[in-house]
Amino acid sequence: MKPASQSINQTAETIKPTNNTKEQKVSRRQFFYILVQTQIGVGILSLPNELHAVSRQDGWISLLVAGVVLPIVLLILWLIAKRYEDLTFFQINEKLFGKWGGRAFSLLYSCYFVSVGVLIVLLFGRMISLWVLPNTPFWVMAVCIVTVGVYLTNGGLLVLARFYTMVSLLLLLLITLSFYSLQEAHWMYLLPIGESGITKIILGAKEALLSFFGFFVSIVIFSRVEGSVKERFKTMLQAHFFVTFFYLLTLIISYTFFSTKEITFVPEPILYMLKSFELPFIARIDLFFISMWFVSVATSFTTYLYMAGQGLKEVFRLKTAKRANVFISLIIVASASLIGYDMTKMETFTKYVIQSGFIFTFYIPPFILIVALVRRRIQKERDEG
Amino acid sequence: MGFIRRLLLGDHEKLQDREFINQNDEPEYPSSTKLADNVNYLMHEFHNTNDLRIRILNKGNASLLYIESLVDQGKIHETIFRPLEFNEVDSIGEIPSAKHTLNLEESIRGLLKGHAIYMEDGRKTIAQFAVTSSFNRSTEEPQNEKVVRGSHDGFIENLMVNINLIRRRIQNRDLTIKYYKLGKKTNTNVALVFLDGVTDPELIQEIETRLNYISSDMIHSPGYVEEFIEDNTKSPFPQMLNTERPDRVVAAIMEGRVAIMTEGTPTTLIAPSTFFSFYQASDDYNMRWFTGTFVRLIRLTSFVIAIGLPAFYIAVVSFHFEVIPDELVIPVKQSINEIAYPPLIEALVMVVIIELIREAGIRLPQPIGQTIGIVGGLVIGDAVVRAGLVSNLMVIVVALTAIASFVVPSNELSTTLRFLTFPLIFLAGTLGFIGITFGFMMILIHLTRLESFGVPYLAPVAPLRFKDLKDTFIRVPIYMMNKRPRDSRAVQMEAIGPSREWKQIEKSSQSDEAGKSINQPDGGNNKTDK
Repeated sequence: MKPASQSINQTAETIKPTNNTKEQKVSRRQFFYILVQTQIGVGILSLPNELHAVSRQDGWISLLVAGVVLPIVLLILWLIAKRYEDLTFFQINEKLFGKWGGRAFSLLYSCYFVSVGVLIVLLFGRMISLWVLPNTPFWVMAVCIVTVGVYLTNGGLLVLARFYTMVSLLLLLLITLSFYSLQEAHWMYLLPIGESGITKIILGAKEALLSFFGFFVSIVIFSRVEGSVKERFKTMLQAHFFVTFFYLLTLIISYTFFSTKEITFVPEPILYMLKSFELPFIARIDLFFISMWFVSVATSFTTYLYMAGQGLKEVFRLKTAKRANVFISLIIVASASLIGYDMTKMETFTKYVIQSGFIFTFYIPPFILIVALVRRRIQKERDEG
Repeated sequence: MGFIRRLLLGDHEKLQDREFINQNDEPEYPSSTKLADNVNYLMHEFHNTNDLRIRILNKGNASLLYIESLVDQGKIHETIFRPLEFNEVDSIGEIPSAKHTLNLEESIRGLLKGHAIYMEDGRKTIAQFAVTSSFNRSTEEPQNEKVVRGSHDGFIENLMVNINLIRRRIQNRDLTIKYYKLGKKTNTNVALVFLDGVTDPELIQEIETRLNYISSDMIHSPGYVEEFIEDNTKSPFPQMLNTERPDRVVAAIMEGRVAIMTEGTPTTLIAPSTFFSFYQASDDYNMRWFTGTFVRLIRLTSFVIAIGLPAFYIAVVSFHFEVIPDELVIPVKQSINEIAYPPLIEALVMVVIIELIREAGIRLPQPIGQTIGIVGGLVIGDAVVRAGLVSNLMVIVVALTAIASFVVPSNELSTTLRFLTFPLIFLAGTLGFIGITFGFMMILIHLTRLESFGVPYLAPVAPLRFKDLKDTFIRVPIYMMNKRPRDSRAVQMEAIGPSREWKQIEKSSQSDEAGKSINQPDGGNNKTDK
């Protein structure tokens, strides 16, 4: 009896429950789902149509090109994050660009995240008014999604991660629904492969990159993920390829269901396709699909809200991001309501956000990396001197 | 002999009776040698209450005090007067079973516990005798947690009997019980029960701290304790499991959880509890695991039905009529065409009626309660439809919802579910499917944010832990639940060692035999050949 109880005591000492959820790290599986849920979101419905506008039925090749190119950017982000393993992205900024420069930089990034948030709300509201609730005023939809976002973000990163992991079950459901439609696929529609030519395909790839913008969250939360630096990079890649696969599936399904001519007339191919199916006990599967899509949109929105909130928290040295989150979401609701369903305003806004998206997620990270490298070189020389 | 042995071998340390309260904090009032002073002090402290009996013995030189309503007269006779009658002792003060004290305050506590105290003129020592009477009902199965197979006893209002029921089931020295006195005026006994070495010591410490913070005049019921120590009071979801079943409490303790029991109530609180523990019933473990899993799945589906079905129906009828397949459109339309009110009002009225019937059924004595069920359910239901106030389909939907909400083995969660129906009905009535998705998301986020004593409420789903799913949506065979679930915070994970290895041994021996039987004919042939 004695030795047994001793061993019990030992285990009691070694296993320490971590009560403090704030400082707890996110597991790699949760990291994976955060990345996936952030990237798959508002764009999934219109992606097939938008890609088709550029590279026609070869849109899926464009996507593959984008999917192959993007890991380079991931590598750059990783190289930055790995240098400052314990710092958040905003803290890295301050380290590299000095106190005020870094803060200004972080503030710019926060503004970018906020504007993406606004864009998500806008696209979401438009889609809902087109497909489900034509008479509902815009601000109601905006308040809906923002409420979910604030409530989720204020729970902290851990709650965010847990929730994303849980709702990823819906992705499985979406994939199953998609496979159901494969029985009506006409593979002939994909032919001739490579008709649009290399330039068009490359241009399409640029378009396709848009739907991967969410990957930027990987550097923001990098320091709060468990595991070695290399393992985390592996998870980033896994998530990226999962997302690519998921997009590829939607593209192929829509391109095989609708012919090249038809697809120009359907802005949301997946929904139109589901609309045509009828299960014995339920019709209009598209409505259910949209309800599930709402969850995906809400998760992407929440991530941007989270990032913006963390940015503000760092810039203004707040204790928690809660107030900042509420403040940001008020701004988002207000500015989104200003644009509302107005198509022309929305298009200009979208254009700006996409441009700044390219700047903030593709052009600036290499610059940050260079600054980091230069600083390290200077540091070294100083140490040697 | 005894004296010499003690002198040589003993350590000469005088042990004292162990009390579970810290005596340093208790007030002290030394007893006097004058009997009248002592008696007067006690009379004064008890405000001359009439049930304090003072029996004068020895021609006025000694007295026996007790609170009439708390003691058993038979026991007084047995322990105090019988030894005198049989001349075993010369005076009551010398009876060996007595507990002696010099503190009048302590004797007051004794009196309140139902002890009798004996004082003599000229002596300071007060002798106390435990002669408490207690009236217990039998430990029969609780009405609200019946099972088909398994143990059929339940807790009662007496803490000692309840702990006895647990100790009988766990005969282990590690089973530890800690007493607390809560309620500044009521001095209610509260007991923490846990298995030392399995339960996380930090968890126990956490619960102790929270219990010690309670500063209330009375602890009336487990609901009091629950609201004082639970993590988040601003939540409709119960964060501690309530049960009256000893087998359930024992199972929880064995998993490394802590049971909190209160004197005067059969309900025991279990901490930490997760959402899925509210869906487990003792029955599940007595069934075949196939059927156990099946029942689990039905129960968890009932969660979605109970909070979502009326909302779904309203959303379909008032927003998304196109969701209904062609064959069903006409019957549905026919049933709701004649109704004057919008589906939202219809649903609210019906749900409220169901709640009224349920509440009335609980408060009334049983025979009348059933009548209410029949009058409410059948008569009103039928009449309401005929009068054209509510549609047929709505009655079906609301009735199904009510049934689904009663499937949950836990009463509190069932109430929560019926409460959550209302916001979802409103959301569905204003925003259709989007409203429902919004509502469900908010509920799920809330559940993800909740924690019960440092354990995520939705564990093991959020955070996801595949290994612990074995006792949530499904119920795997018992021998496969060899590790304790993470959500109990147990420090010793191993619960079941290899228990079905006999199967492999049997198999291997069978194959050995089979091998032999193949070989044997050869051997036999060889023999015959030789």
